[in-house]
Amino acid sequence: MATSIGSSSGPPSHLSPSLVLLQSPTCKPISQGAEARVFKTYLSPPLPTAAAGFNAASPPQVSPILLKHRFKKAYRHEILDTALTKARVAGEARALLKCLRSGVNVPSILMVDAQEGMLGLEWIDGHSVRQLLPGGEEEEDDDPVTADSGEDPLTPYCIDADTITQLIGAQLAKLHKADIVHGDLTTSNMMVRRGRAGTEVVLIDFGLSFTSTLVEDKAVDLYVLERAFASTHPDSEPMFAKVLESYGKGLGQKEWGVVNKRLDEVRLRGRKRSMVG
Amino acid sequence: MPGLLQMRCQLTVQDRPHLALGLEGSANKLGVGVIRHELDGSATVLSNVRHTYITPPGEGFQPRDTALHHRHWALNVINDSLRTAGVSVHALDCICYTKGPGMGAPLQSVALVARTISLLYDKPLIGVNHCIGHIEMGREITGAKNPIVLYVSGGNTQVIAYSRQCYRIFGETLDIAVGNCLDRFARVINLSNDPSPGYNIEQEAKRGKRLVTLPYATKGMDVSLSGILTSVEALAYDKRFRQDGKPKGPEDTDIITPADLCFSLQETVFAMLVEITERAMAHVGSKEVLIVGGVGCNERLQEMMGIMAKERNGQVFATDERFCIDNGIMIAQAGLLAFRCGITTPLAKSTCTQRYRTDQVEVLWRS
Repeated sequence: MATSIGSSSGPPSHLSPSLVLLQSPTCKPISQGAEARVFKTYLSPPLPTAAAGFNAASPPQVSPILLKHRFKKAYRHEILDTALTKARVAGEARALLKCLRSGVNVPSILMVDAQEGMLGLEWIDGHSVRQLLPGGEEEEDDDPVTADSGEDPLTPYCIDADTITQLIGAQLAKLHKADIVHGDLTTSNMMVRRGRAGTEVVLIDFGLSFTSTLVEDKAVDLYVLERAFASTHPDSEPMFAKVLESYGKGLGQKEWGVVNKRLDEVRLRGRKRSMVG
Repeated sequence: MPGLLQMRCQLTVQDRPHLALGLEGSANKLGVGVIRHELDGSATVLSNVRHTYITPPGEGFQPRDTALHHRHWALNVINDSLRTAGVSVHALDCICYTKGPGMGAPLQSVALVARTISLLYDKPLIGVNHCIGHIEMGREITGAKNPIVLYVSGGNTQVIAYSRQCYRIFGETLDIAVGNCLDRFARVINLSNDPSPGYNIEQEAKRGKRLVTLPYATKGMDVSLSGILTSVEALAYDKRFRQDGKPKGPEDTDIITPADLCFSLQETVFAMLVEITERAMAHVGSKEVLIVGGVGCNERLQEMMGIMAKERNGQVFATDERFCIDNGIMIAQAGLLAFRCGITTPLAKSTCTQRYRTDQVEVLWRS
């Protein structure tokens, strides 16, 4: 993991090199998530394809990368903001690395600049689970998957909603087996792409993740996802049940029994906290 | 089969303006208000009277004493409200009261008053969810169409998004409410409860300079506040803490003042709230935020939320203390909306409950 320190080694600007990347003409903003701006860019400038030399031999495919910039949050106190940003970038990189080692599908890490809050990740070419499952289309989506034709968004992936939920469960089981807690599981934080071994679900956005062996944390992780399902995908109970079923299979009978029991407790807790006063 | 039915707004078209009386007393505020729904769909606040039970510094309000306060003041406040509105009880269409959530004893005293008026004047009763009252009043006053709602008060901390006739709770506190956290800290450093502990913390925080490190506890969409309260309380017993806010001598530089603690507490807790709100906005794809509840009139919170919304090209809607802090008019507003959808609470069911979640209410008046 190469950590470029935010000092200014490049003479022309006093910007950190990772911030210079954002100014490259190929850098396109993709979205503004909950806490970071996400860009798509190329590390080397895209080759002028039709131009000299490279034309005949297949040009080396320059794959895009994803830049995740946790920009300064002006609403937060500066000290608090700096500390949080640094901790989260480093934490995210650490968690991703651990996931990669444990065989969880996550984007690979290309660059970390904790000082500036910048993370460079592999570009995942696909759609979010949220867009693919019923009810999840955003109202003001720039890139509506469900083209006006009313075509099923799942067609290009050759799978159905059931398979997606199964894949999600399997990934989560792997994640939790490695004692990583995602911390912000939602259907927007899972991507579906066509990989070498068929369609796969890739977990993204580990900004709130942490390492924990506690059943409690894993159960809360699942509970967060359950609530996200319920609030984005109407009538999602059967879908989430499928996720849990496959999760249980992946985790193993014994472990799952414990997590499931705790999950019931956590659910109750959410209910009980129905406010006082 | 509710999933298959179409979600349609069930508000009936009015043939005449409707009037409602709202009675609120779920915590230490006794509020009575009269609202009129005009033929063109707008609402007019005819009166909004409130009487607050204020305890001495260092003390919170106990259910029993609060109920006593409400019983003592109920008739005065109601008369006052009707007089200001220039409306006779006979002209009202319905009596709305807070069914919950809230403190049991105060809720019961106010519900009893509501029942009595209802029987005396033969008016239909409507039990209203307190949180829905806040949301509906906020929407009415600010004109926000479909906002993410941050509901922050002494008893509640929730991030709410509307979907399919239900206000769904996106994130909430896992332990104590944010107002409770602030109020209890105000007691620790002996701030006055007049007009409200939260207001005094806000004023004190303006003089704070030093940001002390407090835990930052967001858990997905949820927040946890009790640990923060514990650590900020611990700092109030730290040897660097100076209750009077002044150094003991010229050498005494490493000090923490009450103002610093108020400042740090606000900065940390509000940053967490803004963060979970932002997360909900990003998730739902909404550009509007509405802040309601007593803590919602904190200007620092509004300012922080404003900066966040601006970064997202969004907009913040907030109200002032008249509508943020518990009031009767919001109960009248939500109750009248329900009444116009044909919902009334029969006398036998006119109970109140301490636990009544926002997502338990069917929001028939929205499509």
